[in-house]
Amino acid sequence: MSFIHLHVHSQYSFLDGASSLDKLLDRAVTLKMPALALTDHNRLTGAIRFYDKAKALGIKPIIGVETDLEGRYHLTLLCKNHEGYSNLCRLLTQAHLSNRDRKPKVTREMLRDNSSGLIALSGCSKGEIPALLSKGKCNKAKEAACFYREIFGEDFFIELTRYPSREGFSDSYQLVSFAKEESLLVVATNNVHYVELRRYRVKELLNAIDQNIPVTQLNGYRTVEQYLKSHKEMMKLFRDLPEAIKNTEEIASRCNLELELGKPRFPRFDIPEGESDYGYLRKIAFAGAEIKYGLLSTSIKNRLEYELDTIKKLGYCSYFLVVWDIVRWAKSRDIRCQARGSAVDSLVVYALDISNIDPLEYNLLFERFMHPLRYEPPDIDLDVDRKRRDEVKDYIYQKYGIENVACVGTINTYMARGAIRDIGKALKIPKTIIEEACNGIHWLSASKLMEYADTLPELKHSTIYKREDLADFFKLCTAIDGFPKHLSVHLGGLLIGDGKLSELVPLEWSSGGDIISQYDKDDVERLGIVKLDLLSLPTLTVIEDTLSNIKRSHGIDIDIEKVPRDDPETFAMLRGSKTIGTFQLESPAQREMAGRLLPNRFEDIIVSISLVRPGPLKSNMDKDYLPRRHGKELVKYLHPKLKNALSETLGVILYQEQVLRVAHDLAGMSYAEADGFRRAMTHDRTEEEMEKMRGSFISRAIKNGVIKGIAEKVFRQLAAFAAYGFCKGHACAYAITAYQTLWLKRHYPAEFLAAALSNQPMGYYPPRVLVAEAKRFGVEVLPPDINNSSDNYTVDNGAIRVSLKQLKGMSTKTMEFILSERARHRFTSLRDFALRTNVSRLILENLVKVGAFDSLGNRSNLLHQVPELVNLKGKTDRRARPLFEEPRAESDVQEDTPGGDIKVKMLVERELLSLDLTAHPLDFCALDDGITKMGDLPSITTGETVRIAGSVIRYQTPPTRNGNRVVYIIMEDGTGIADVTVFSDVQEKCGEVLFREGWLEVKGKVQRRGQKAASIIAENLSPLDTRFMCKD
Amino acid sequence: MSKLVGEPVKVHQNKESMITAFIWRKRLYRVLEVIGWWREPSDWWNTKAMRLFIRVNAKNSSTGTYELYRLGEQWFLSRVLD
Repeated sequence: MSFIHLHVHSQYSFLDGASSLDKLLDRAVTLKMPALALTDHNRLTGAIRFYDKAKALGIKPIIGVETDLEGRYHLTLLCKNHEGYSNLCRLLTQAHLSNRDRKPKVTREMLRDNSSGLIALSGCSKGEIPALLSKGKCNKAKEAACFYREIFGEDFFIELTRYPSREGFSDSYQLVSFAKEESLLVVATNNVHYVELRRYRVKELLNAIDQNIPVTQLNGYRTVEQYLKSHKEMMKLFRDLPEAIKNTEEIASRCNLELELGKPRFPRFDIPEGESDYGYLRKIAFAGAEIKYGLLSTSIKNRLEYELDTIKKLGYCSYFLVVWDIVRWAKSRDIRCQARGSAVDSLVVYALDISNIDPLEYNLLFERFMHPLRYEPPDIDLDVDRKRRDEVKDYIYQKYGIENVACVGTINTYMARGAIRDIGKALKIPKTIIEEACNGIHWLSASKLMEYADTLPELKHSTIYKREDLADFFKLCTAIDGFPKHLSVHLGGLLIGDGKLSELVPLEWSSGGDIISQYDKDDVERLGIVKLDLLSLPTLTVIEDTLSNIKRSHGIDIDIEKVPRDDPETFAMLRGSKTIGTFQLESPAQREMAGRLLPNRFEDIIVSISLVRPGPLKSNMDKDYLPRRHGKELVKYLHPKLKNALSETLGVILYQEQVLRVAHDLAGMSYAEADGFRRAMTHDRTEEEMEKMRGSFISRAIKNGVIKGIAEKVFRQLAAFAAYGFCKGHACAYAITAYQTLWLKRHYPAEFLAAALSNQPMGYYPPRVLVAEAKRFGVEVLPPDINNSSDNYTVDNGAIRVSLKQLKGMSTKTMEFILSERARHRFTSLRDFALRTNVSRLILENLVKVGAFDSLGNRSNLLHQVPELVNLKGKTDRRARPLFEEPRAESDVQEDTPGGDIKVKMLVERELLSLDLTAHPLDFCALDDGITKMGDLPSITTGETVRIAGSVIRYQTPPTRNGNRVVYIIMEDGTGIADVTVFSDVQEKCGEVLFREGWLEVKGKVQRRGQKAASIIAENLSPLDTRFMCKD
Repeated sequence: MSKLVGEPVKVHQNKESMITAFIWRKRLYRVLEVIGWWREPSDWWNTKAMRLFIRVNAKNSSTGTYELYRLGEQWFLSRVLD
C-alpha cells in the first residue's frame, strides 16, 4: 500500500507555495512515490509543465486545484479524465470571470454543471464541512455533505489532514466520526506547501507579501508540518486509519488524464457556402497576387500553387484565412497592420496583403516559414499601430466569441531587486538598507545574488551583502528566485480557440481588464493552441501621426509605401548616424554600424538589421562582410555552387534562408530537409548529433559532385553560422519600417519628432534626448502653451510645441477637460482659465511654472495670483454666483528678472516636464576647460584621450564574444550623445560608480570603427558633483 | 489543569535518541511512555528556532504527565499536567 499526496501546492499557488515543481518532483522521486497531484489555488498555471516533468520522471501526474467556494470555503478537485479536465477549466474560468477585481468564487451551480470527471475532497480546515463542524454546525455540515455526495457520488471524499499538535488531532477525529455517520469515504492528505520542513519560513514570508503585512503580523493557524512527508511518516500519522491511506491509491487509480499535447488546434473560419477552406484561400490568394503583380507569370503561379498545396497538406488553410480576415478588417479601417517574422518569406502571405514585402523581389524562401517536415504550427506575427490595437482585438473578440478568445498570460517572477524589496518589507528591514541593497543591482537573478555580490565590481565594494545580521535576509531573498509574483498579459499573444477555448485553457481577468489564459505561451503551445501575435508597434503609430502632422502643416498627403527606397538624402543622414528616434537604427550599436557600413542602398539596411544582433557580432560576421562591402577584400566562394546562395551578401552567410540554399545547392537537400538541417544545427546538439549531421551533409555533397575537403569547410561554416543567422524575411519587414522612419525624419524632422515625442515611451531614448535631437535638426521646441498645446506634441509654424500631457501629474481627464473648454473659447487670462476649469492648485501652479501662461502674463506675477484664484474659485463654486472680485492687474506686478531665472526655469522644466527646453543642466555646472562637449566628439582624432561629462541615459550589458561582461553607457550633455564602453578592468576600478550614478564624468580614448562613428573606451568613471542641479 | 514551568532539564536518551529519563530540580524522572510529540513554529524572524515538544508519562515518587521541549541542544520542561 502506497501513500500518494493528493493535495500539493507549488510555487504556482502564487505567494502560498514555497517550493518549485522541480523540487517537489525530485523529492517525490527520492521518496519513490508512484504518483503526485498538483492542486494549486484556483489556477492550473503549473499544470502542463508539471504533467510533462512528472511523466518524464516516471511519476503519474494528477492534475487538480484547490478552489475557493462561496462562503470562502475551499474544495480540492482532481481530474479523472479529459472530461474532468475540460470541466475544471470551465469551472475555473467561470469562477474567475464572474468575479472581476475580486477573488474567484465557485458557486454551487457552477459545481453542479461541471462536476463530471472530477473527484472532490472536502478540503483543508477551510473546507466547508470541516469549517462547519469546527463551529459546531453539524446539521449544516450534513447538508453540505449531502450536496457534494449528490454531485460527485462515489467521487467525494472527506479529506483528513493530521498535523501533530498539543491538542492532538481533534479536528481529524471529529471528521472521521462525521464521515462514519454519513457513510462517506475518507482520504489522507498533508496539504503540502513546501518540500522540506525548513521551507515553512519561506511560505510564511510569501503569505506576508501576499497580504502586504509584516510577517510578524500574520495571524491564523501556523504550522511547520505542510511538507512533502514520506510514505512512512504518513502511515505513522494514520496508523489507526489505514483506509485513509489506501484511498489515496484508489483515487490515484481513478485519475487517468491523458492530455493531448502538441497537436495543433486551429480556429475555424466561416467561409462562403459551397466553398472549401482550401478553395477559398486559393481564390483570394490568386486574386491578391493579380492585384500585386498584374498578369501572373508561370513562376509566380507555380510558387503560389506550391505554397498553397503545402498549406493545405498541413491543414493550415483556416489559420491563414483567420489572419487574412483580421488584416483585411484592420486595413479597411486604415489601421496600420503588417506581418513580421518568417511569415514574410511566403508569397501567399504577400498575396493576401498580410505582409508588404514581396518575397520574390527579396529572394525569400517559403520553407524558412513552413514546410511539410516541420511539425510546429505556423506563426504569423502581426505588428499593429499601438493606438489602435484594441480596435483589432475587439474585432477578434466579436468575431470569434468572448469564450473563445483570450490574451496569452505571462508569469511575472521574482528577480533580485523584487525579492529584496518584498522580503525586506515583510521582515520590516529599514528602507535605507533595502535601497542600499538594491542600488547597483542591474538585472540579476535572486539565486545568484550572493555569488555576484562577491564578484561583480558594482556590488563587491558594498559592505551590505557581507553584514552578518543580514545574512539570513539575503538567504531568504535567494529562496524565492524565479517564484511567480502575479499573472499578467503577454505583450502581443492572442489565442483563438477551435471551439470553446475555456474548455482547454482556464481564463481569468488581468489587472488591466483583459481576459488572459492561466497558461503562459510555452504551455499554450504545448496544448497546440495556435497563438496569434498581435504586437502593438508604436513606430507604426509614429508613422501615422507624422503623416497627419505633415498633412496639417503642409497640406500634403504622402503614401509612405510609395516613397522611393533610394533617396540619397535619407542614406546620407543614416551614414551620419543621425538616427535617433528612428525604428531599429537608433541604438549605439546601429549608429556605429551605420558609420562602418556606410549604407547607400535599401539592402544595406536589411544587412545592418541582421548584423547588429548578439549572435552575428559574437561570430564576427561583421568583420567578414564589411571589407567585402567596401571592396577591400575579394569576394570568394568556396565552390561555384555557393554563388547562387551567397552572392547577395558577397559570399558571407548572413541570413537563415542562405543556410537552406547552401544545403540545397551543395548537398542536394530539398529545402524542407535543409530547414530541418538548419533547425537541428540551431538548437543545442550533442557532439554525436553534430557528427551525424556532418556525415550526412558531406556524403550528400560528394554525391553532388563536391570534393570532400570543400564540403567539410562549408559544413564548418554552416555549423558556425546557423545558430546566429537572422531571418531575412523578418529583417526585410523591419528594414522597410526603418527606412520609412528615416525618410520621414530626413524630410519632415519637426513632424516626425513631434510624433515620436507624442508616442513615448518607445524606442531607446527619453523625450529630452529627442528634444535635443530636434534642436540639432534646427527645429525649435516651444514650451507648453495653454491656448496652443494639445494632448500630443504638435507642429506650430515649423516648431514643435510640447504637449500638455508632458506636465507631471496631468491626468488624461483633466487634460481633456481643459481642451474641451478651450474648444469653446480660448482662455483669455489665468483667471479665466482657473474659473472655467476644474484643475487642482498643483496643476495650475505647475502650468504657470513651465510657461503655459507666458502668452497671458508674467510668470512670477501669475504664480502669485494662484492662491487667490484658487480661493476665489472655491467661493464661486460654493456660492454659484458670478465673481466680482478682480485679482491684481497683471501689469502692476514685477517683471521677471532677465537671465537670472534661467536656471530656475531649467530646474522646473526638468522636474515638471522631464525636458531641457530653456537650458541644459550642464550649462550651470562649472566644468573645467578640459571637458569635451559630446557634440564635438566627431571631430576628435581617433585614439585621443578626452574627458566628457553628462547624464546617463542607460546602461547596457549585451552578451559578448568571449563571455566577459562589457558595460555600455549612453550619455548626453545637451550638445550630443556619447557611447561609452567600459571593459572589465575599468569596471573593477570604478565598480562603486557603475549603475548607481545618474551623472558621470568619463575619461577615455576615442575609438572609431568606421569612417564616422566614434565611441569612448572608458579609462575612468567618476560621479559628477550634482550641486548644479540645486537651486542657488 | 497544567502548570507552566519553563525550566531547563537534563535528559537521558538511549541509542535510538529516545528519552528514557530527565532530571528536573535535581530529581530523576523515568520516562514510562511517550504519549505524543509535535513541532511548533517559532518567531524565526527574531532568530528563534523551531521547538520540538514531547509529552511523556514519567515517574518519580509518583507518576505524572510532563511536557518537554528542545530548543537547540537544550531541553526544557514546559509544563506539568495533572
